[in-house]
Amino acid sequence: MRDIHALLKQRHRLGPLEPRKGGLAFVTVPRENLRGLLLELRDTHGFTHLVLLTAVDWMEDGLFQLTYMLNNRGRDLTLGIRVMIDREEAQGDTIHDMWPTAATYQRELKEMFGIDFPGSPRLDEEFILEGWTDLPPYRRDFDSLAYSQQTYAERPGRVTHDPREYMKSKLYPDGV
Amino acid sequence: MGLREVLTPFTVWKHVFDDPVTIKQPIGRPAAERYRGFHQNDLDTCIGCGTCEAICQNGAIDMVAVAGYDPEKGNSGLKPQIDYGRCCWCALCVDVCMTGSLTMSNEYTWVDTDPDAFRFVPGLEEPWKDDEEGYEREGKRVLSGIERIHMEEMEPEARIGNFDEIVAGYSRAEAILEADRCVECGLCVATCPAHMSIPDYIAAVRDQDYDRGLQLLYETNPFSEVCGRVCTHKCEGSCAALHEGDPIAIRWLKRHIIDEVPFDRRIELIGQPAEPTGRKVAIIGAGPAGLTAAFDLARAGHGVVVYEALAHAGGMMRYGIPEYRLPYDALDRDIGVIEAMGVEIRTNCRVGRDVTMDELRRDHDAVVLTIGLHMGRSTRVPGTEGAGVEKAVDLLRRITDGEKVPLAEQIVVIGGGNVAMDIARSMARLQKAEFGKVGITLTALEDIDHFLADPEEVVESREEGVKIFDARGPQEVMRDAEGKVTGLRTWRVKSIFDAEGRFAPAYDQSDERVHAGSMVIEAIGQAADTSLLGAALTEALEWNRGRIKIDTAFRTSEPWLFAAGDAVKGPDVISAVADGHRVARTVMEKLAAREVAQ
Ligand SMILES: Cc1cc2nc3c(=O)[nH]c(=O)nc-3n(C[C@H](O)[C@H](O)[C@H](O)COP(=O)(O)OP(=O)(O)OC[C@H]3O[C@@H](n4cnc5c(N)ncnc54)[C@H](O)[C@@H]3O)c2cc1C
Ligand code: SF4
Ligand code: SF4
Ligand code: SF4
Repeated sequence: MRDIHALLKQRHRLGPLEPRKGGLAFVTVPRENLRGLLLELRDTHGFTHLVLLTAVDWMEDGLFQLTYMLNNRGRDLTLGIRVMIDREEAQGDTIHDMWPTAATYQRELKEMFGIDFPGSPRLDEEFILEGWTDLPPYRRDFDSLAYSQQTYAERPGRVTHDPREYMKSKLYPDGV
Repeated sequence: MGLREVLTPFTVWKHVFDDPVTIKQPIGRPAAERYRGFHQNDLDTCIGCGTCEAICQNGAIDMVAVAGYDPEKGNSGLKPQIDYGRCCWCALCVDVCMTGSLTMSNEYTWVDTDPDAFRFVPGLEEPWKDDEEGYEREGKRVLSGIERIHMEEMEPEARIGNFDEIVAGYSRAEAILEADRCVECGLCVATCPAHMSIPDYIAAVRDQDYDRGLQLLYETNPFSEVCGRVCTHKCEGSCAALHEGDPIAIRWLKRHIIDEVPFDRRIELIGQPAEPTGRKVAIIGAGPAGLTAAFDLARAGHGVVVYEALAHAGGMMRYGIPEYRLPYDALDRDIGVIEAMGVEIRTNCRVGRDVTMDELRRDHDAVVLTIGLHMGRSTRVPGTEGAGVEKAVDLLRRITDGEKVPLAEQIVVIGGGNVAMDIARSMARLQKAEFGKVGITLTALEDIDHFLADPEEVVESREEGVKIFDARGPQEVMRDAEGKVTGLRTWRVKSIFDAEGRFAPAYDQSDERVHAGSMVIEAIGQAADTSLLGAALTEALEWNRGRIKIDTAFRTSEPWLFAAGDAVKGPDVISAVADGHRVARTVMEKLAAREVAQ
């Protein structure tokens, strides 16, 4: 992997290589360099398989991280390519033309994170959420608990106890 | 509506006598080994912290009482009950569980006609309760960090020649990280003698709201400078985080809050005391018990005078605890806030000598006795009478007063508790300054695994050059022909208590040692000096094994006299604080009752 990194580092403005165990490594690249890098990895370096495309919400930093996992079957290497994009604008570059399966991942990311991939087929069709009107649920500012409490009825008869208050009532009821 | 729609319902009728399609075992095929199926909980390991409830994003968990599990130290006795009408089997509860008790089986089919059955307490009776397969978190919990944020401390070489404070205190960044590890379960609150609002003030650190933090501290404890440094921190022994990592540094976080709020701001935040009531209360002894009671009474508008025998207020916090653990200026800030509430502290005024009990009784509506334990006990082995043998508390008091205390190049300390460590380490510092080297031997009845001193005290003493001999019983202070101390003769201890649990050390006399030294210090315990009471009152009061007898509200058998703190209960600052609050409440109840009667 180091050989590939050394070769492509300058041309695609790669960040430092972060090796993990067992033929896995990560690298960060600027958004402008993503498509060029993917194309060269696929066509010249044997990374023909798109394992997955997913995202991480770095809410405090105002960023989404897109992670493209590529695999070179022949050499048993997996490279995770990270692209940081602006969380407000939330737009990535579609790669469905390189890997048709990417369209499905991009559709999922649109639905769950609200990240746009202009030009990606069927991008705005519902993926697994039906009739969703709230914030995209994988955004970290989406309040899952509040949503589930509003949306799903509570079965009557539930009672809970706060551990601290319960211990007080049993162990030192008059406060001392 | 077409013909088909009209006829279809009738065609369905032909199935009416068929077997139902809902079946007992719908699939019957086992799930994958690590499948996240129905929950399991090891109820004997679960501590009822409710962290699983707090994290569940579906509000599926309630904490409920279960027969046979009662609250105890560090354990609420509650157990999670899960509503499978809401659960999505995300396993967040399993991942966050503070003890690792909560897991999942790989069972995924469950048929029942009673909808309430699906709201259940895992671990009680479900058939998959002991199944091996299913999901459990690998390793320890990672959602809340398991390692305590390191506290900066002075290295042994740097600290041994002086009395500078050893512990640095957290920076804001460090404190936030440490506060972040707390899951706000509140299990620790019951263990704290003063029941401080621990999770709330830790949350205040996380939110960087030090004003709120300070107000929370003062709700239960006017001695946070002190307790933030030297509290016995028993709360940490019941912290939910200790089951799979380090307990939260509750004590250091308390200190961090107080470090962040300047003195004047503290007084501003606490606010003015209530309007004067015209009532007067005398308190004897300006230790933490007396001063806490004084604080509460003064805040309620009562006039309070604290009579203190020594030159400065603080009791054992000043005259016992060495400066390298608790600097005097920190203590002074705590006392300063109490004085700012209108409490008058009359120092150099020993009750029984400078003023009598009768006078106090005559001039006040109530008298509170908080005189602590200030007389060092002696082993009374042969040779303890005479020069060269000292008591730890006397020396510590004299060191605080800035006196030049007797010193020797080789000293033997008797005792294995914290007071013994304090005197050993204090004398080691004086030796280092005077002779350039440390020569301290410490002997204790207990073996090292059962030492009464805190483990960190043992570690730090050794780092500073104190040689510890455990399981040694003192037999004689050896003296030469001129009567000068030459050492301590000890036997090995076989057992300390007899079959009935009474103190009766048994020795192996064949294992004898003489620990050389020209000075011996006894640090085996303290007693209260109750001579201030005078013969008549001593006679009138009820006693309980040498201590003044009190009831649960800290009333003595005399209706005008109350007692609290080490002298009647103990054993530490935070207990004295808790007692101080309680005795103040009792006094105020009495004053209020009198008000009604008049
Ligand atoms: C060496 C040492 C180290 C300790 N270390 C710790 C520690 O690290 N952490 C901890 O939590 N606890 C520690 N303790 C215990 C703690 O200091 C006490 O539990 C606590 O101070 C008790 O408070 P008190 O108010 O009951 O009594 P004290 O603090 O003892 O105060 C009693 C006061 O009454 C005064 N007094 C007595 N007789 C009279 C009289 N006749 N007239 C007027 N005034 C009088 C005394 O001078 C004293 O000021 C230590 C104790 C010692 C001795
Ligand atoms: S598995 Fe998830 S949804 Fe179910 S109780 Fe646990 S945290 Fe809640
Ligand atoms: S988090 Fe674990 S230990 Fe705490 S109540 Fe839930 S199951 Fe019990
Ligand atoms: S300090 Fe420990 S026991 Fe106390 S609330 Fe925090 S995690 Fe729970």
